[in-house]
Amino acid sequence: MAVISTNQPGIKPQQYTSTQIATGVFCVALIFTLLQFTGLLPSWLHRLPESWIPPFAVWLDAAFNFIRTDLGLEKLTRWFAEGPLQFMLDTSANLLYGKKRWPGFEQIPWSAIAAAAAVLGYYLGGWRLAALAGGTFVWTALIGQWTIAMETMSVLVVAAPMAFVIGLGLGIAAWKYPWVDRAIKPILSVLQTLPFFTYLLPAVIFFKVGPTAGAVATIIYAIPPMILMTTLGLKKVSSEVVEAGKMSGCSRFQMLRHVYVPAARTEILVGVNQVIMLCLAMVVLTAFIGMPGLGAKLLAMMGSFKLGRSFEIGVTIVLLAVTLDRLSKAWVVKLPEHFEKGTPWWQRHKYLLAGVGAFVFFTILGQFVEWFAEIGRRQNFSQGKEIDTAIKTFLAFDLVQATTEKIRYVLNVWVLNPFRDFLLSIPTAGFILFVVAGALALGGRRSGIYAAVFFGLVALSGWWDRSVITLYSVISAVILATLIGLPIGILAARSEKWSQRVLLICDTAQTFPSFIYLIPAIMLFGITATSVVMSILIFAMVPLVRYTVEGLRGVPEEMNEAADMSGATRMQKLWNVQLPLALPTMAVGFNQAIMFAFFMVIIAAFIGTQDLGQELQKTLAGTDLGKNFVLGICVSLMALTFDMAIMTWADRKKRLLGL
Amino acid sequence: MTTDAPVISCKNVWKIFGDDPEGYLAKMPAGQSYDDIRADGYIAGVKDVSIEVGRGEMLVIMGLSGSGKSTLVRCFSRLHDITGGTIEVEGQDIMALAEKDLIDLRRNKMGMVFQSFGLLPHRTVLDNVAFPLEMRGQDKHARRARALEVIKLVGLEGREDYFPRELSGGQQQRVGIARSLAIEPDIWFLDEPFSALDPLIRREMQDEFLRLQEMLGKTIVFITHDFDEALRLADRIAIMKDGAVEQCDTPDQIVMHPATEYVRKFTEDIDKSRVVHASVLVKPDAQGEGDPVSSTATIHDLAPTLVADLREFIPVTDGTAVIGALSRQEALEVLVGAD
Amino acid sequence: MNKFTTALATGVLAFAPMAAFAADSSDPIVIPIHNWSSQIVMSNVVGQIFEEMGNNVEYVTTDSQAVYESVRLGDVTLEMEVWEGAFGASFRAAMEKGGIVDVGDHNAVTREDWWYPMWTKDACPGLPSWEALNDCAEIFATAETGSKGRYLDGPVDWLKHGKERVEALDMNFEVINAGSAAALWAEIGAAEADKRPVVVFNWTPNFAEAVWPGEFVEFPEWVDGCDKDPAVGPNPNALYDCGNPADGYLKKAAWEGMEEKWPAAYAVLEKISFTNPQIAEMARLVDVDELEPDEAAAEWLEANQDVWKAWLN
Repeated sequence: MAVISTNQPGIKPQQYTSTQIATGVFCVALIFTLLQFTGLLPSWLHRLPESWIPPFAVWLDAAFNFIRTDLGLEKLTRWFAEGPLQFMLDTSANLLYGKKRWPGFEQIPWSAIAAAAAVLGYYLGGWRLAALAGGTFVWTALIGQWTIAMETMSVLVVAAPMAFVIGLGLGIAAWKYPWVDRAIKPILSVLQTLPFFTYLLPAVIFFKVGPTAGAVATIIYAIPPMILMTTLGLKKVSSEVVEAGKMSGCSRFQMLRHVYVPAARTEILVGVNQVIMLCLAMVVLTAFIGMPGLGAKLLAMMGSFKLGRSFEIGVTIVLLAVTLDRLSKAWVVKLPEHFEKGTPWWQRHKYLLAGVGAFVFFTILGQFVEWFAEIGRRQNFSQGKEIDTAIKTFLAFDLVQATTEKIRYVLNVWVLNPFRDFLLSIPTAGFILFVVAGALALGGRRSGIYAAVFFGLVALSGWWDRSVITLYSVISAVILATLIGLPIGILAARSEKWSQRVLLICDTAQTFPSFIYLIPAIMLFGITATSVVMSILIFAMVPLVRYTVEGLRGVPEEMNEAADMSGATRMQKLWNVQLPLALPTMAVGFNQAIMFAFFMVIIAAFIGTQDLGQELQKTLAGTDLGKNFVLGICVSLMALTFDMAIMTWADRKKRLLGL
Repeated sequence: MTTDAPVISCKNVWKIFGDDPEGYLAKMPAGQSYDDIRADGYIAGVKDVSIEVGRGEMLVIMGLSGSGKSTLVRCFSRLHDITGGTIEVEGQDIMALAEKDLIDLRRNKMGMVFQSFGLLPHRTVLDNVAFPLEMRGQDKHARRARALEVIKLVGLEGREDYFPRELSGGQQQRVGIARSLAIEPDIWFLDEPFSALDPLIRREMQDEFLRLQEMLGKTIVFITHDFDEALRLADRIAIMKDGAVEQCDTPDQIVMHPATEYVRKFTEDIDKSRVVHASVLVKPDAQGEGDPVSSTATIHDLAPTLVADLREFIPVTDGTAVIGALSRQEALEVLVGAD
Repeated sequence: MNKFTTALATGVLAFAPMAAFAADSSDPIVIPIHNWSSQIVMSNVVGQIFEEMGNNVEYVTTDSQAVYESVRLGDVTLEMEVWEGAFGASFRAAMEKGGIVDVGDHNAVTREDWWYPMWTKDACPGLPSWEALNDCAEIFATAETGSKGRYLDGPVDWLKHGKERVEALDMNFEVINAGSAAALWAEIGAAEADKRPVVVFNWTPNFAEAVWPGEFVEFPEWVDGCDKDPAVGPNPNALYDCGNPADGYLKKAAWEGMEEKWPAAYAVLEKISFTNPQIAEMARLVDVDELEPDEAAAEWLEANQDVWKAWLN
């Protein structure tokens, strides 16, 4: 029906297409901007007058205080923090690094954990994984970071299971009851775009500074993907398996316990993998609110500009991340195998026995040979100083210095600063309209309306200039990342071998906690806008390259063959067949790059920025929840606008292409 | 075959998919066609079906994909709630059952086999087969013993500890069959059980299935889109199109007297002589002479007699007494496929 | 009066240490740790002294501004380094709300202000006077700041008011905020390679003076009220038109309830007083010798037994 009416434009002349409206809006925005440049625009259209800005922060503060004290939420959360949560954290802390708490053991010897990890690695993925898992723990111990690494792990082993349980529960509820799903969806999208600093302050206020708050922030941060994966997995359970369950006479609970959850095993385990990775990333970041461990140490080392030690801690974090990632991924694909009849008990459980045996052996050994239990003062092999010297020598090479200096100069003076000043010179009204025009053109009317509302709210928040600066860092970094990442992706996609390699690198890079990306940026470019953009760039390039490779490799073989048989050259094939078909997938990657950039720009506040991230970091020092939230929501709203417009576009394109 | 009260009896059953099926059905004028309903934004999965299944009978529901046959069988077991009409299973209105009673019914009376097997991937063969027993709370030893028994019955002995993905398609379906039989159901639903299998395996499984049915004598509702399979297995066949039953009768009758053009098209390419039994052609008042032939023999079985014998009428016996005679001319027409 | 009884109590306790220490609660004394090394080591030193006395001690990492609120509420028990310039305001605010007590000054004096490494003086011989600095503003110019000099201030949340001072004194400088202390050291480290002149925010005591010799810029001398009353200082219309105090205090603070709950530990805390060289030494053990803080503390305690043993009696 719709097709027919567009073929008869005479019937409804007042209907414009989104593109036409977008063009109109764009023109208005352009006029505003030009008027501003000639000085004719009324000032309230350029920047909202202070008096127009509603005191959101004050309102939010009032609301928080009401919930916190009047409703008594704080009592509840404090009870939870000081009671059960503290107890669990203390217990894991006692076992892992010997904190003097219940059950009052000595710390588990590092060698025992390393041995058990190696056996687990062997069981899940053979020798390579065994070497990775065992090696990671050996490295951690030998480099002298065992205690801090275990401080991090002690929170992880509490936070990850809790995030898993809560996420699974909510995922099941969302799948079972549509109203829960409807209620959770918008919260999830906001949570996923909310800068992590915004998780931290409420956590501190409600759950006491230190590991408890860190654990809570970590749990909340890791829940969303678990919910999504659970729901996805449950929805994908084949209807016949469900019916088979019902016909077997399962009650509702039996259905869930014996049919749905086991049948959704793969997705749920992928969720577990994501929970672990996000927990690790977040546990490192909670150093900002006083969580001891690797993150805090890294922060301290970077704080005293010890690049060598920072580098070593970075390596430990990366190794831990890769180990946990590979182990949990191997678990996803590890499917049960049958044993031949008559296999003895010990044979069936040989890995379990070996793991326990190794663990017990080294625990006992640790009692007699101190070195196997704990590596003492000045016994470790840390080469911090030597690496420091090496890095400094490298940076002092004239060539290196000239190159970084040049890049820094060109980027700062010719690109970044003018771009920032230009963005800041656009009047608020014009800026919003530009964004709306973009959203309309990409995502259609709905996206346009959301863009208008979201950016309108950002303008009303009173943090417009800082928001624009945030956006400027994001946009510059993503554009640069695209310029570098696309060619890499396209080149890699030309051969199977290189695709595999690049994807593996992307996979690995994605497991790095974001904080790591600051190190090379600071080392090379010091404390400048270039450094900020560079760290965002590296982080954002990962999904971009990844989806480009996947999109191009995903082009059906027949299409490539058809192009070859039509006599297309390589370039023709790329431009006319592969890129158009890969574009929707690449758009998803582009979108993720933007989301990653929004995430990283906040962390880059550590280097020194003038944007929302810095203000957010400042709020951590106080109890200014209202402001903290307003700032966080500003970031979230901007990210959501992009997310919505691009994803709508990609989905529509995919449908049109019949993919 | 149908000795006493029907096991499943459904009257004017409707199953409509859409936003408000009950409301739509209540207001729907009589005589709406499938396409009319579709134009209103609803899909008639099952359209005014009345059918009965007798004890020990094998009813085959035949139809092309989308004809509603799977939906209908899911209504029988209340995997789907019906929109209108009534379904009684052993005299009980299943729509009136509380959830607990429904679960009891499934735990004790019904078994079902699925097209893509519907096996639980995380359980071994033994655990899959024992699953319904476990659900109804049987103790571990009893259910293990029973599961091993049915596994042996379907010929999977020695594979108890395998996981489904370690088995071939045919073997997986044997597990599905064993599971559906574990609780010793009275009513056995099979939803295109052999469609996902290779033609050779399918044939083998059909033989296996007939062997089982001979031993067990269950009431069976069997779904297929393969007319040959239907003819081969069925006591009665119900042919469905657009949610409605076009014709429900014995294979002989369907082949000899198709009720609609749609049904006739199915029968066109069929070698009728292999389907039609002597009993169908018997004229009770006709008198034949000489040796009688068996009423259960197909015309194809009788081909040598029919061609060589010159009698006009051949007497037919049901094993105890002569029940009449068949016209040799008519039988020859069936044999050569003339209409 | 209060002081007197405590002193008396300690005096008495000195003769019966076992009985006295038993009076301390067995709950852990919570010591906050911040993000600079001298404070971390000093906290560890004090913690290990308390442990020596038989107390339980626990360390938590907290923000250095927010910590006063935590001390006030008793979430953490004490604070070893209250810098006048950096935390005076937060400390005073917490004092006004109540719950936190001043446990006296360290021997050390603190200073934090604009600072330059020695090599800068070669390019701008008039230093350390601020007028001379302003006259050489151009040698501090970078691509990003154009003709103005670049001054790298501390992170915004340290509230150093560099921008305000530049405006108040009409200096030809642009203030860039570093994101962290790391940024400051990175800047000095980078400049060191080719002896580029830089002026950055810095403070004493810290490890940097051992690594990079340098001097503070001499601004108009600090007068009380310079940050509150525009009339004070050379520019009658502006706040922050003076340098920071050149001999700021370094205080110890504690939770009000500490004296009652851990009387012995509190008595020792009152006596503790570190000097500038001692603090620099602590920072050096971590920053230069790369020891872990607890190891550094143990080493310092071993080497300085005469200093801290005296506080116990």
